[in-house]
Amino acid sequence: MTLNTDMQVNRIDDYLWEIPPSEKAGMLVPARIYASPAILGAMDRGVFDQVTNVACLPGIHRYALCMPDGHWGYGFPIGGVAAFDPEDGIISPGGVGYDINCGMRLIRTDLSLSEVQPKLELLMTELFRRVPAGVGSRGFVNVTRREFREVMRKGAAWCIANGYGWEEDLDRIEERGCLNGADPTHVTDYAIERGINQLGTLGSGNHYLEVQVLSDKGIFDREAAAAMGLTGRDQVVVMVHCGSRGFGHQVASDYLKVFEKAMRRFGISVKDQQLACAPFRSPEGQDYFGAMNCAANTAFANRQVITHQIREAFAAVFDSTPHALGMHLIYDVAHNIAKVERYGDGEWLVHRKGATRAFGPGSPELPDCYRHIGQPVICGGSMETGSYLLVGTDRAMHDTFGSTMHGSGRTMSRAQAKRTVRGEQLLRDMKQHGILVKAVSMSGLAEEAGLAYKNISEVVNTVDQAGITKKVAELKPIGNIKG
Amino acid sequence: MSGTFRFLDEIALADMAFEAEGDSLPALFDAATQALIQSLADPASVAQTWQQTIDMEEPDIDTLLFEWLNRLVYLKDAQAVVFHHATLKLNHTPDRSVWRLHAELIGAPVDQATQDLRSDVKGVTKHLYAVTQTGTSWKARVVLDV
Repeated sequence: MTLNTDMQVNRIDDYLWEIPPSEKAGMLVPARIYASPAILGAMDRGVFDQVTNVACLPGIHRYALCMPDGHWGYGFPIGGVAAFDPEDGIISPGGVGYDINCGMRLIRTDLSLSEVQPKLELLMTELFRRVPAGVGSRGFVNVTRREFREVMRKGAAWCIANGYGWEEDLDRIEERGCLNGADPTHVTDYAIERGINQLGTLGSGNHYLEVQVLSDKGIFDREAAAAMGLTGRDQVVVMVHCGSRGFGHQVASDYLKVFEKAMRRFGISVKDQQLACAPFRSPEGQDYFGAMNCAANTAFANRQVITHQIREAFAAVFDSTPHALGMHLIYDVAHNIAKVERYGDGEWLVHRKGATRAFGPGSPELPDCYRHIGQPVICGGSMETGSYLLVGTDRAMHDTFGSTMHGSGRTMSRAQAKRTVRGEQLLRDMKQHGILVKAVSMSGLAEEAGLAYKNISEVVNTVDQAGITKKVAELKPIGNIKG
Repeated sequence: MSGTFRFLDEIALADMAFEAEGDSLPALFDAATQALIQSLADPASVAQTWQQTIDMEEPDIDTLLFEWLNRLVYLKDAQAVVFHHATLKLNHTPDRSVWRLHAELIGAPVDQATQDLRSDVKGVTKHLYAVTQTGTSWKARVVLDV
C-alpha cells in the first residue's frame, strides 16, 4: 500500500495504524490513525506530518490520535485527539480549532415524510427566514454586553431561562450546555464585538441546517434508536452544524498571539507555529481556558437559539406547537473542544479537533435516558449524501479518550469544487434528487458539493468496525440551508 | 506600482488561500486587500455607503499585513459590512522599527438581496503565512479560515 508519507506506519489491526516515536525527532508517544486501508491510502500528507507533530507536545499521554475523517488542519489535523497531563502538560488553541465548540445537534419530530413533503418549500423558506446564514448575518437575539457575558458563563441555560428552549433540553447537551470555568474577563473587546450580534446565526462554509428523513431500513440498532425517540417509518428530523462564529475565532486568534510569546518564556518549541501552546496551569494557559470556555458556552447557546427558531418554524408551518410535534432534542455534541475528563485513575486535558466525544454505556456524565446505550454521536456528511447517528462504546473509553470521528472530511479544495460544479446547477440537480436547498451564496454552495467530500459511509464503517462507536441510524437529507 | 493576486488550490483543502504579489510594498498591500475583499463578496455588487478610516502600526511589515487583513475580518462581523475598496498609505520610521498603515475603507452594510456574497471568512491564519521580497518585488502567501 502506498501512503502519502515516508514514515513507517505499522498495522495494529484492519482499522488501526501506528507511527512509532522513532519516526520523528521529539515524538514523546506513538501516533495512531484509525482508518480502513483504503482511507489510510487516501489520507493527505498533512495528516501524517501533523499527528506526529502533536505527539511531540509536552505532557502528551499515551498516543496522538487521528480519526478516519482526518485531513490537514491548522496545527492538529482535523480528526485529531490528544490528552495531556493537566499538571505538567500544555493547552493549545491549535488542538481545539478556530471555531471553538463547533458541533452538531439533532432534533426529532413526530412528522413523517408524507406529512412534510407537501409543505417542504414553505418549511425551508420559513427556516431560511428564521435562521440567518452567510456573510455578516445577524441573529434575532439582541443582548447587551452584560447579558452577553451571562451567555458566556451560562451557555444553553441562559437560553432556557430566557424562553429559547425547554428545561429537558439541557439533559441532552454535552456538559448540559455549560462548561465550568468560563471567565469573560479573559475575552477581548474585539471578540465581544464580533460575537454579540451573531447569536442564532449559522455562518457559512460547511455549516448547515438540514431537514432529514429516517427510513426503516436506515436503522441499524433499534434499541438505541428507540431510546432516542426514533422509530423510522420515514420520520423527519432536523440536524444543525455550527459553532461559536466570529466570537470563537477571535478568541483563538487572540490567544495564538499570547501563546507565541508565552512559549519563548517557558522555553517550549513546537514543530508548527499553529501548535502554539502554554502550560495548562500557567496564567496564559488558564486565561485561554477561561476564554475558550466562554466561546464554547456561546456556541451551545447559539445552537440552542437556533433550535428555538426551528421549533417555531415547524409550529408555524404545521399550525401546531413544538410539543405537539414531538420536537425533542436528541443530542448536542461538540467536536472542537478541550476539556478535563477522567479516564481510569487520572484526569486528562483532552483536546478534540474535528473529533466527537463518544462516551460509552454507564458513563455517569450521560443522562438517564441514554446511560444504557451510550452517548449519541452525530456525524454530518455532505449535503448530498446524508449523515449518521452513532453511540459511544466502552472501547472508546479505553482506547481513544472517549472520542470518535465527526464528519466525512473533504477530499477536494473549495476552488476546485467551484471549477467543477456551478451552484445554480447543483441547486437544480439536488432538487431533482428530492433535496430542496436554500443558500445565501451560489459559490459557497458549489464549494460544499458532495463530490468534494469523502464517502461518509466508508468513514462511519471504519469507526464501527474499529469498535469505538456503533452505528444507530443513517439519515437522508430532504432540505438544506447553507450560508 | 501594480499588484496581482491568485487563489491557491491545494494549500488549504477545507479553507482558502491566496498569493498576492506587487512590485512595491504598497502594491502588495493593495493586492492582498483586494484578495480578501473579493473572498467576502464581489466588490462590483457592493455600494459605497459605509466608510471607515483606520490607522495601525506594527514593528514589522509581516505583522502589519497580518493584522490589517484580520482587521477587515473583524469589521465584517462587528459592523456587518462588506467592502468595495480600500485606499492605503504605508510608511515607516527612518530606522524601520515601526511600520504604519493609514487606510480609507469603503463598503456597505451586508445586503443578501443585492450583493453577490461569497465566503464568510472567519480569520487570517499563520499557517504557511509568509511575506517575502525578491529584489523590489514582494509576495505574500495567506491562508484564510472559512
